[in-house]
Amino acid sequence: MIYRGNRAAWAYIVARTKVMKSRLMKAEDFRKLLNMEFDEIVRYIGETEYKKEIDELGYKFTGPRLLDHALYANLARTYRKLIEVSFGASKFLITRYLEKWDVWNIINIIRGKMANVQPEVIEDVLVPAGERDLEFWKSLIVRDIEEIVKSFEGTPYYEPLSKVGSEDISKIEDELYKVYYRELLKLNPTDFAMKLFLDFIKMEIDIRNVKTLLRLKAEDATVEEIISCTIPGGYELTEEEIRKLAAMPIDEMIKSLEGYWFWDDVQIKGKSVATAEIEFDKVWINTISKRASNYPLSILPVLQYAVLKKVEVDNLRVLGWGKYYGLPNEEIERQMVIL
Amino acid sequence: MVEDALAKGLIAVGAGLAVGLAGIGAGLGESGIGAAAVGATAEDRGFFGLGILFTVIPETIVIFGLVIAFILMFAF
Repeated sequence: MIYRGNRAAWAYIVARTKVMKSRLMKAEDFRKLLNMEFDEIVRYIGETEYKKEIDELGYKFTGPRLLDHALYANLARTYRKLIEVSFGASKFLITRYLEKWDVWNIINIIRGKMANVQPEVIEDVLVPAGERDLEFWKSLIVRDIEEIVKSFEGTPYYEPLSKVGSEDISKIEDELYKVYYRELLKLNPTDFAMKLFLDFIKMEIDIRNVKTLLRLKAEDATVEEIISCTIPGGYELTEEEIRKLAAMPIDEMIKSLEGYWFWDDVQIKGKSVATAEIEFDKVWINTISKRASNYPLSILPVLQYAVLKKVEVDNLRVLGWGKYYGLPNEEIERQMVIL
Repeated sequence: MVEDALAKGLIAVGAGLAVGLAGIGAGLGESGIGAAAVGATAEDRGFFGLGILFTVIPETIVIFGLVIAFILMFAF
């Protein structure tokens, strides 16, 4: 079934994001950038979609920090635009999906406050892409940690946040992401658009979990440690499955992964965990592309764009920092997700 | 005389249905295409001409309806 629901509303937002997607950098653009020096890269990016941010932040920062801030500022602007131009079901689903960035902001503020980082520096790493705007996050930065935690009272994030100070911050981060996904999975698949959205979320959880599984297995973590770091509610990787896989030796576990949807002929043998993670990212992007083509009038093309935009930003960051520190091109390319 | 009037009336109803139903069909088709055209044009003005062209394609169905209506009205 290609279409169900309000066709015109989906057609509008999908056509708009397709045009936005056509402006993303292609594989050949990244290869061209790989052969440039750091300053040339910044100049090149400053002539693309990132012009506004590079110009605005150019007087404040230099070097790879300028690149970082400009890329994140652009990402936030793009995501907010997606929320602003959508309406009805698409607006609701995009907003809920982008709440992920609220977790990112909460964690960055708390980490910054714990390390006594200057408010301006914390502000620069924020990505106000969700429903809460920059003013809200700025108002949090000036408060102390207890007040920040208190301001989330009544929200699902309060429970993990109340452990700040008594538990490790990385554990709290894991808990916050668990809450984020748990709240999304509570949505009722009343119509087809919602069902597609929930499947997308479950598949994203699978990709996150398989990466966590590989990373922790490589570090010889126990089954319970692995379970505590994974997110329940995956598409195929249920808690039971993860428990089964986590108990296996790593070679056997990799072999057992072959039957899952995200395997898709992934070659990870003999590769580092970071490279293996990139392989799974590629599978994820290919899967979203296929599903977005199968269901063109749905939320999937919009989510596909949101994911691809984040991948572009990550690629440019890797490229910028890699070039700045003079890493060889092959090494930088290995760390990038280029399809 | 009465039969003649009835026939003329039915022909008029048929002609009305041909144009009306074709119009509704075209409208349904155009709603999705028009929305997509507006979305694409909002991002890139270069899509304006192409958007209009695609939006009016279902309009051809109304022309068929109109032709049927003319045939009904004038050929019988």
